[in-house]
Amino acid sequence: MENGAANPIIVCENVKKWFGDFQALRGVTTSVAEGEVVVVIGPSGSGKSTFIRCINRLEQHQEGRIVVAGIELTSDVRNIERIRSEVGMVFQQFNLFPHLTVMQNITLAQVWVRKRSRSDAEERAMALLERVGIPEQAAKYPGQLSGGQQQRVAIARSLAMDPKIMLFDEPTSALDPEMIKEVLEVMQELAGTGMTIVAVTHEMGFAREVANRVVLFDEGQIVEEGPPAEFFANPRHPRTKMFLSQILSH
Amino acid sequence: MSAESFDLPLQPEPPPKVHRIGWLDWARKNLFNSVFNGTLTMVLTAGLLLLILALLRFVFSPDRRWEVMPPNAANYVVEAYPREDLANMWLSLWIIAALAGVSTASWGMGGQVSVIKVVAAVRAIGATALVVGVLSLWSPAGGATQTVLVWGGAALFGVGVGATRLVQEERGVSVARVLAIVGALLVGLVWYMPLESGTTWPLTITALVVVAFHWVGKLVGQWLSARLMKRVITVLWVLSFPVIYLHIQRNPSLVWGEVTSWLPWAGLLIAAGPAVIWVVSRAGREQAAGVNFLLGGVSIYSWVIQWPMAIRVLFLLLTLFSLATPTFAASPRARRAFYWTWLAGGLCTLYFFLMGIGSTDLATRGHFLGGINLTILLAVGGTALSFPLGVMLALGRTSSMPIFRILSIVYIEVVRGVPLITVLFFGDKVIPRFLPPGLDFAGEAKALLAITAFSAAYLAENVRGGLQAVSKGQTEASRALGMTTAQMTMLITLPQALRVVIPALVGQAIALFKDTSLVAIIGLADFLRVARDIVPNQPDSLGSILENLLLAALVYWIFAFSFSRASLRLERRLGVGTR
Amino acid sequence: MANRPSLAAPTRPPLWRNATFLKWAAQIGVLFGVLALGSVLIGEATANMRAQGLSLDWDLLTDPPGIQLGEGIFIKPSTGLEAFYTGAVNMLRVALSGIVAATVVGAIVGIARLSSNWLASRLATVFVESLRNIPVLVQVVFWFFLASTLFPILEADSSGPIPGVLLVSRKGVSFAWPFPQETFWQWGAFLVVGLLTARWAYRTRMRRAEALGEDTRPGTWALLAFLAWAVLGWFAHPLAGALGWLFMLLAASVGAVPVSVYQVVLALVSLYLGWRWIHRFLESRRSPAGLAKLTDDDYFRMILAGALGAGGAAVLMLLPAATEVGTNVLQYLLEFCDQKFDFLRSGAPLAMGSPSVEVPGRFPQIAGTGLTMTPSFFGIWMGVTLYTASFIAEIVRGGILSVPKGQSEAGYALGLRRGQLLRMVILPQAFRVILPPLGNQYLNLSKNTSLGIAVAFPEMVQVGQTMFNQTGDTIQVILIWMAFYLSISLLISVLINYYNRRAQLVER
Repeated sequence: MENGAANPIIVCENVKKWFGDFQALRGVTTSVAEGEVVVVIGPSGSGKSTFIRCINRLEQHQEGRIVVAGIELTSDVRNIERIRSEVGMVFQQFNLFPHLTVMQNITLAQVWVRKRSRSDAEERAMALLERVGIPEQAAKYPGQLSGGQQQRVAIARSLAMDPKIMLFDEPTSALDPEMIKEVLEVMQELAGTGMTIVAVTHEMGFAREVANRVVLFDEGQIVEEGPPAEFFANPRHPRTKMFLSQILSH
Repeated sequence: MSAESFDLPLQPEPPPKVHRIGWLDWARKNLFNSVFNGTLTMVLTAGLLLLILALLRFVFSPDRRWEVMPPNAANYVVEAYPREDLANMWLSLWIIAALAGVSTASWGMGGQVSVIKVVAAVRAIGATALVVGVLSLWSPAGGATQTVLVWGGAALFGVGVGATRLVQEERGVSVARVLAIVGALLVGLVWYMPLESGTTWPLTITALVVVAFHWVGKLVGQWLSARLMKRVITVLWVLSFPVIYLHIQRNPSLVWGEVTSWLPWAGLLIAAGPAVIWVVSRAGREQAAGVNFLLGGVSIYSWVIQWPMAIRVLFLLLTLFSLATPTFAASPRARRAFYWTWLAGGLCTLYFFLMGIGSTDLATRGHFLGGINLTILLAVGGTALSFPLGVMLALGRTSSMPIFRILSIVYIEVVRGVPLITVLFFGDKVIPRFLPPGLDFAGEAKALLAITAFSAAYLAENVRGGLQAVSKGQTEASRALGMTTAQMTMLITLPQALRVVIPALVGQAIALFKDTSLVAIIGLADFLRVARDIVPNQPDSLGSILENLLLAALVYWIFAFSFSRASLRLERRLGVGTR
Repeated sequence: MANRPSLAAPTRPPLWRNATFLKWAAQIGVLFGVLALGSVLIGEATANMRAQGLSLDWDLLTDPPGIQLGEGIFIKPSTGLEAFYTGAVNMLRVALSGIVAATVVGAIVGIARLSSNWLASRLATVFVESLRNIPVLVQVVFWFFLASTLFPILEADSSGPIPGVLLVSRKGVSFAWPFPQETFWQWGAFLVVGLLTARWAYRTRMRRAEALGEDTRPGTWALLAFLAWAVLGWFAHPLAGALGWLFMLLAASVGAVPVSVYQVVLALVSLYLGWRWIHRFLESRRSPAGLAKLTDDDYFRMILAGALGAGGAAVLMLLPAATEVGTNVLQYLLEFCDQKFDFLRSGAPLAMGSPSVEVPGRFPQIAGTGLTMTPSFFGIWMGVTLYTASFIAEIVRGGILSVPKGQSEAGYALGLRRGQLLRMVILPQAFRVILPPLGNQYLNLSKNTSLGIAVAFPEMVQVGQTMFNQTGDTIQVILIWMAFYLSISLLISVLINYYNRRAQLVER
């Protein structure tokens, strides 16, 4: 918790979650400071995706507390809407809206949620598309783009809402190797601007170079967390050693 | 990766006990979770209350004559079937009941159902009855029924609530037991209802037959393999419908003089069949083609000259068998199957002509089909007959031969483009125009033909969907194995295609069942017509039309709804799309 | 070189073993069989009918039918054609209003089934599961008898549940309605121009928006353009009377050209179509190097296409009556349009009417001042509308459920509310899935209007049955039905296909 103590923007306390009889989260306690980049790793089915989906309440936790930007996540509809407009999320399957052009994808929520004028929204969208490197694709439909381009549009779509926190749920898992690089570059650039980021990913290079903290999940709990240099060089827990040996051996 | 070897600090816990939420919490969550939903709930509740009150005022109005229904039970089920021959109808029902009983033993009843769900259902039924009963106190009349509703509902609700307290943990109960209890209650109801005399015992016997044959099925099942048992039962089901409608209900009696002229020839043909099959399967390709050509020529010629109809049909059948022999009966095993199929099919055809043509029966004394009986005949017969026609049309539509394709497309699109009632009128009014003067089919037969022709077009479109779903690799593989087109179609493509479209075919059968009600328009006495015209015009039940229409709606609904539920279950079990 | 195995020259198989020949022999054989059967049946039918003093002619369209219809344009039609016209218009009234109502009800119920409100979703489920499992005919008959036995009896002083707006009685349901007047068609011409202008305005503004990247409000502009024309036309509609001259001129010129000219032109078109098919077929078989070798099968196909084209041309040339019917219909339509336009007409194109009761003889009647649904219309309309709505509800629900879960998750993650998500993300995508089966339901509804016969509603089938009961011309009536319903089916499927193609997603 040494990092979280500074100025925590996400605080989780003993978060538990069940799917039927299966317990997906067994009591997760952690916090994320403003501007911190946290990379969550772990084997599949370890609960890491469930965890970050709980942060903007795409899943509901059943016990424990989650406070995001000073707002407690309860079933109060107003709180959920406020948190969702503060927290951006990027999905593994991009989830772009296929019936809207790239430009419309990015402006939709700006106009309807942020209540910006359309011209402002389009200006912002164009700036973001330039930032992620595909300004020329604005008039196309998602179906006409490559996977890497689609994921960059998805990132631009989230950033257009000026979120305080960005959540990445395995953003590169559905991509071909050469496209992974272009998405990671965008994420790295984003981390450099001081954005708070929580990312679930299998990209160890990204974790090593960009993260302030690496968290290992297994069986619905945090096994070990720490700064990447220490985490990768001297893992303390045997579970971490085994995970790292499996993932880094090839 | 076995994570068990690592000592992670937190062990899994059971999920937090879902303590029963109070109904206030439940309402807040499901009915009033937003301003919009709250308003919607209020508006809907008000509308629902008004609707229920209006309905109850309708149901309990002194003008309603619900009491006319039980005495008219026979009219609904068989309409004008001669009452002195009703034993035939009971026998038909018992045959179905026996087959149903044996089938439940062989296929099972659908396993277990949770006790909590059963108890909840009892509680819900009780609560509904209680609420309806209390609300009905505001409507004009209804004395005894209201009392039954209020007290019966309260009792059921009480039992349900009590049982809920008792049954805490999840336990299963077999569906068979639940159905048996419901059946017993229904039999009790039969004894309580003022039905026509002489119906209570046969109905009770029907229930007993189901139970008895369930046990017979279990007993026989110990001796026969499950596979064989299922096959035998399926064959019996298929046979039961022609036997019931062509023999038991028609009650024919043979007139020997009519058949003596052609009977020996028919016997000779049936005996000659195996010889022909033997010769054709042994001969070379071209000799077999020669024999088939000869048979086909004689067969076509027989329709030009005056041969007895039985001989014509038998000859045509033999030609078809012989045509299929070189492709499908090459191995000795297949040939044996062909012999047996020929003998069985030939004898059935012979029986049909003996009993169907040269005999007097109920049909000649006036129409004998009506009510639910006719509805079921049209639905089952239409489904069964439209199946081969529909498959043929689907094969034609996907064929690579343009003329077959065009003919199929024209037929399918024309029939699908016009309403069923025009096809029924076509059958009823135009078919007689095509027949020699003075000759006409029975209205029921013409309606069956029209329904078959109509349904086949829709069925063809469903089957076509299945045919297109069979991957091209399958046809290429069978080609590579040296199969002919006929073998590939019958052995590879069709079986796969049909399995994919089973749910669509059941849906089509349900639609056909509902569509049979249209025969009421062309004057047949089906169930709807009995409810709309016949019962409301009886002196004792004059003008009770809305009541009778509601009964008709309920009966049609029960049939269609239970079939659609069964189809859903079947779909889930077949896992269509997942395999 | 010397021991290269020598191949015998390829021999064509004998005719009875040639696969292509057998295939085509079978097909042509079956075709002849079907044609022979058809001609035998028609011959038999003609002979039978002659024996009964009937014949296969079309006199029933021109003779006075001596029938009376329950409602519609011609209650006592003076020709068979008028009777069928009345039936067709009645059928279209039920079908069109039913399609609109069924779509609205179905969409609401389908969305309600997915509602988070327990009561709404339960009620919607009950609606769907009860209505779609009861035969539509039972429902039609039920509503008819409900209206004609349970509604209040019409008295001379009846004014219904909402006086001046809605009148409910056993003789029908009457409500207030804006009725088109004789100047409506002239106003309609302005509305058409308005629509075209609106379309043009929308496109121009849209192009401007794309060029400048600013919101140009194309929808508002288009609406304003349309409204401007509508308001202008309301007062200036006599100007459109000039169109009458145009139609008169066209009608006269259609009539002036002799039928043989049309025959020759249409026959040439038929020949051209056959030739074009063959030409395209050859083009498609052409390899880059030149003409590919054609199989026997290909030759048979081309011969078939050529024969169809030539056959069409021959029929057109030998049967002038076919062409004549076409030109007569065209001329009639043009003259009909001509009558609808006149400079001298004035007055508002629409006038509001409200329900009222009149007592012409001893018994009160609903006066023609409001729009009235007779019990027959009520029965067929309620029956087919609610029945179809239950199917449309399932289609809408299925369409919404077909949108992947990730779409709503992404929408929620962006902070969209449920309503916004539904309107902007889910429904536009669901629409593509919904459209084809929806078109099927429209077709079914149109065909189910034929059940009007069960409640004495004079639509096509009821009129046809009344006609053949009078004349015995069953075959002709069946042919008229087929032509009518097939045209309706074709029209709806063409429309649906057109929208379906426009709504396709753009893919890579």
